[in-house]
Amino acid sequence: MAKSSSTDAVTLIRSLRSAYAATPTNLKIIDLYVVFAIATALIQVVYMGIVGSFPFNSFLSGLLSCVGTAVLAVCLRIQVNKENKEFKDLAPERAFADFVLCNLVLHLVIMNFLG
Amino acid sequence: MAKKFFCPLLLLLLLPESFSADNPTDRRLLILVDDLTIRSSHSLFFKSLESRGYSLEFRLADDPKISLQRYGHYLYDGLVIFSPSVQRFGGSLDQAAVLDFVDAGHDLILAADSSASDLIRGIASDSGVDFDEDAEAVVIDHVSYAVSETDGEHTLIAADDFIQSDVILGEKRIEAPVLFRGIGHSVNPSNTLALKVLSASPSAYSASPRAKLSSPSLTGSTIALVSVVQARNNARMLITGSLDLFTNRFLRSSVWKAGSSNKYEKSGNEQFVTEISKWVFHERGHLKAVNMTHHFVGEKTEPAVYRINDDLEYSIEIYEWSGTSWKPYVADDVQVQFYMMSPYVLKTLSTNLMGLYSTSFKVPDVYGVFQFKVEYQRLGYTSLSLSKQIPVRPYRHNEYERFIPAAFPYYGASFSTMAGFFIFTIVYLYNK
Amino acid sequence: MASPPDLKSGATLRNAFGGVLALFIIFLIGVLAFSIRLFSVIKYESVIHEFDPYFNYRVTQFLTKNGIYEFWNWFDDRTWYPLGRVIGGTVYPGLTLTAGTMWWILNSLNIPLSVKTVCVFTAPIFSAAAAWATYLLTKEVRGTGAGLTAAILLAIVPSYMSRSVAGSYDNEAVAIFALIFTFFLYIKTLNTGSLFYATLNALSYFYMVCSWGGYTFIINLIPMHVLLCIVMGRYSSRLYIAYAPLVVFGTLLAALVPVVGFNAVMTSEHFASFLVFIIIHVVAFVSFIRGILSPKMFKVAITLVLTVGIAVCVGAIAILVALVASSPTKGWSGRSLSLLDPTYASKYIPIIASVSEHQPPTWPSYFMDINVLAFLVPAGIIACFLPLSDASSFVVLYLVTSVYFSGVMVRLMLVLAPAACIMSGIALSEAFDVLTQSVKLQLTKLLETPPNAGDTKDGSSTVQSDVVEEDNKMIDNKTEFVKERPSKKSRKKDKEIVEKTRSKSRNQKRLMILPLEASSVAILLIVVLISLYVIHCVWAAAEAYSAPSIVLTSRSQDGLHVFDDFREAYSWLRHNTEVDDKVASWWDYGYQTTAMANRTVIVDNNTWNNTHIATVGTAMSSPEKPAWEIFNSLDVKYVLVVFGGLVGYPSDDINKFLWMVRIGGGVFPHIKEPDYLRDGQYRIDAQATPTMLNSLMYKLSYYRFVETDGKGFDRVRKTEIGKKHFKLSHFEEVFTTHHWMVRIYKLKPPKNRMKEKLKKPKMTSKPLSGTRRDESAKRNPWQ
Repeated sequence: MAKSSSTDAVTLIRSLRSAYAATPTNLKIIDLYVVFAIATALIQVVYMGIVGSFPFNSFLSGLLSCVGTAVLAVCLRIQVNKENKEFKDLAPERAFADFVLCNLVLHLVIMNFLG
Repeated sequence: MAKKFFCPLLLLLLLPESFSADNPTDRRLLILVDDLTIRSSHSLFFKSLESRGYSLEFRLADDPKISLQRYGHYLYDGLVIFSPSVQRFGGSLDQAAVLDFVDAGHDLILAADSSASDLIRGIASDSGVDFDEDAEAVVIDHVSYAVSETDGEHTLIAADDFIQSDVILGEKRIEAPVLFRGIGHSVNPSNTLALKVLSASPSAYSASPRAKLSSPSLTGSTIALVSVVQARNNARMLITGSLDLFTNRFLRSSVWKAGSSNKYEKSGNEQFVTEISKWVFHERGHLKAVNMTHHFVGEKTEPAVYRINDDLEYSIEIYEWSGTSWKPYVADDVQVQFYMMSPYVLKTLSTNLMGLYSTSFKVPDVYGVFQFKVEYQRLGYTSLSLSKQIPVRPYRHNEYERFIPAAFPYYGASFSTMAGFFIFTIVYLYNK
Repeated sequence: MASPPDLKSGATLRNAFGGVLALFIIFLIGVLAFSIRLFSVIKYESVIHEFDPYFNYRVTQFLTKNGIYEFWNWFDDRTWYPLGRVIGGTVYPGLTLTAGTMWWILNSLNIPLSVKTVCVFTAPIFSAAAAWATYLLTKEVRGTGAGLTAAILLAIVPSYMSRSVAGSYDNEAVAIFALIFTFFLYIKTLNTGSLFYATLNALSYFYMVCSWGGYTFIINLIPMHVLLCIVMGRYSSRLYIAYAPLVVFGTLLAALVPVVGFNAVMTSEHFASFLVFIIIHVVAFVSFIRGILSPKMFKVAITLVLTVGIAVCVGAIAILVALVASSPTKGWSGRSLSLLDPTYASKYIPIIASVSEHQPPTWPSYFMDINVLAFLVPAGIIACFLPLSDASSFVVLYLVTSVYFSGVMVRLMLVLAPAACIMSGIALSEAFDVLTQSVKLQLTKLLETPPNAGDTKDGSSTVQSDVVEEDNKMIDNKTEFVKERPSKKSRKKDKEIVEKTRSKSRNQKRLMILPLEASSVAILLIVVLISLYVIHCVWAAAEAYSAPSIVLTSRSQDGLHVFDDFREAYSWLRHNTEVDDKVASWWDYGYQTTAMANRTVIVDNNTWNNTHIATVGTAMSSPEKPAWEIFNSLDVKYVLVVFGGLVGYPSDDINKFLWMVRIGGGVFPHIKEPDYLRDGQYRIDAQATPTMLNSLMYKLSYYRFVETDGKGFDRVRKTEIGKKHFKLSHFEEVFTTHHWMVRIYKLKPPKNRMKEKLKKPKMTSKPLSGTRRDESAKRNPWQ
């Protein structure tokens, strides 16, 4: 059981890697960006666990800025992904413009909430 | 006589209260008597009043022209009722009018004797002083009576159980006993406004000397001989069951208290009635508090609202009327409360000996509508009860701490995501 | 139908015309929604209604005078004396800011309207906007025809009207608009998958959070819908785009509103959204993996991913549960709890139960408030299921939940109303489609006229004889399923006709053909039904919901009586008392007293401090002396009671008295409700208990009442009062309004002289003239 699952895992990882290698570069950039945002968020959660949640608004805004960024990037990734049939009518430029707008709003709110 | 009062009347128009805050004792007294011989039999007392600047007007108690007020203003500042037996006052005066006179802030001296009428008893009992209801009863003391040739029933009493108060009876101790002949009264101990100034000795009782003794209703030192009442509006009343207390004869008489080795050449009556009349007519023990101010530490102007945890300074000026002028009042027990449903701050004020009391404290960490409260009630003094409302608000949105060191990582994270966004935008667009 | 080229030219023209017509109709609906709410202004005057609107009005005045920052930091020391209230942090600012902005814009355009005028007309304006939002939402679900029908229905639905007549300047007035608009944007985002709409959705949600505490309905309903979609296997990337940014933005924006603040992440009301947020990420990740892997590998992956995902979920749930358990009241506010458990409030929180609009509604109130829509709703649900889309499932979910909530609290009927309107709009529109098509086809067959003639006839907009196919494909042509829908009435057409679907739709149409007679009769019946609804709505607008409750009228044989006692009393207070005087009354009148009389009150309609209200309730339930002491300790100068016994005004303080006793007794146990009850009832007649007859409320209400008719007959309770002749020892009557509806008493100052006898068994020598001063002190059995 353990053996088969581990071999399965290996083949899975291998196939994942190969599948992912086929992803276009721009999607890879987005993925990198998402990973960056999630990593920042995790760091903050750990930090909060260490020093306590006193400036709670700052923590919230810091965390949510990362989560928000990640979520928006995922949305963008969904929209610009060529394989995604649902959005083939949506021009990538339009998607990106929406994405920029969302980010601007997000960061405006974050700045408001941070202090 | 009445015309004479028109000029002061004009002055009075400006002053709804009889005694002004500036000058509590500038006053005219109406003295009601049963018959005008009292004017001469009690002349020493009246003279002492006149010598202190009072203008006296004598009327028969049943004079049909008596009127305490005209056009809604009181013509007199004080009333002396030396007419124990009057059944009905003349003119518009009645029991209610007398009490209204007191409730309007005027002073009253009421002296009864064994012939006290229901009217007089009614005025007294409405002020919280109850004469013995037995109309025949007088105060009898077989132990501490004043030795005299004429009195075999021991109704002439030499009383020396004074109230311990310099304010009411003056600083100089009254050495000689006070001669008293008349009816006793009682004061409910729960009555915080009435005070027994002169009490009977424990051996006294109140009963008719002629009737057979059967369980007197008043005995011992519960019998009050002279009481004062200071109403909530600081009007003062002196009530006693002895008109003789004020007579020239008693004032001049020598006194020898039975069982005492000391025989005094002169009774304590003169000193007693003079001092207590000074108190009743506000020559002593009348306080005023002015200039209640508060401000931030280091500032002068009074703000409309404080914020929680502000530091503030509070000050008040308290003066005492000396009979001729306002003198600084000096005490170390004046306290201020910062009050909202219960005192949050209670501070004793420190004085600069010039009447100014001040303190400083920190506003508590509670918002709400607070009051600066000074409640100062001391025996014999007029009560001071001042309050000033002041709201205390919470922090404004921009008064909280802005940049908290503990939050720097969060700031960093936020800005790094922003930077990341810009970099990402550039890379993404360039890549395409 | 005509041959394709024929139809094409005709259809484009007709569609252009139809578009304009639809726009015009939408405009007219707005006008209708606005003007039907003006009955109150016409019948009465331009006046703010009821209780809460007075507070909002006062806040708006403050805002326009002092600006937004002062408003934000406003610490109000004129209410909840002596605690004060931080208005900026405890009020939903949406309404006030809206009206303030409108006033500011008008003023900068040199249109000098008073703040009051703006406030009075805010609600009608926003109900017009709400009707438009309904149009958009329904159009998104079911196309233009249904949209227009729903908008018309909403414009005049009595339930919504009751909260938004001119002068009813309350949060709900703008909140319903915000609610519908948020839902519209959510559906729009769901249909288009556009981040742009997602942002708008978040902003609209922000506005809703600003406006009304009911925003929790949104933040729970949308996750429920998302969950429903996932469970039904309808997950799509659009769902992710519609939901995930909304949660992040929504939480952030909600936390910006001072009154919500950290509640946006701390209370249980919001946890559902976070939970679903996590779930949707798991689902999204799974579908992503599925996308890039071969099916075989996916099976392997899914076991792994699921184990990891479940572990994460369990962890997250554990954390959430721990958080919930650690927060007070388990994170639920009392009002929300009473929503989930309808008996909660009456059991534990009398103060919530005491508000009449928090009571469960009765059946007649459903009929009163949504009328025939109640019967159309089931039809609408069926119509939504054929075919079921994400959008229509959302609407169904919305309806179901709001039906439940309205069943718990009368007030939430307001949330139900838009759902019912949308459903009914869909139902009606579908019904008309089917029926008119049948009629049309039968007629064409009957008359044997060429289809072209029929078309031209339609073009001249004859009523209900049009067949237009409509393709409801979204303009941006997402993967939204293709729906064909014939429009409802002749006047409604769509912009676009897609040819390829026509033949299909024609087949479909054939199937739906009904006999001519049946369809005509059905159309007739529906028209009658609609007319009934319209008549009812107009009646409701004119009669039932336009009374401002601050001015009352009654009609009798000798004409119209106007009772303007409230304003009389408040203006008396305003002109005859000191600025800093404190007025005590039951909390219902707190807002009005501060707004109209400008006097400090002890408690008001913002019932945030139960103890303080209980103190006032205790004072009202106590005999005179303890009541005087309570009021004196609160620095109260005047006591205001509302008394309807003379004119038969039923919602007076005696009828509210049970709540005073209950709330007071809840905090101060010496007030015991059974002391006031005779045979389980509050009675004020000869059967009343001594405690009742000695209570301050009884005395203040019925003091000198016997002098009016000699008998003391109370027209509300329809009985003679129990104790008729009595005097007040600690209070004195200072003002009683014309119809005795408001009575104001002043606390007597403490007696100048104390006169308590030492020990007096006998009263024989009691002086006569002194009796009035201490009479009741002696007679009072409580002493």
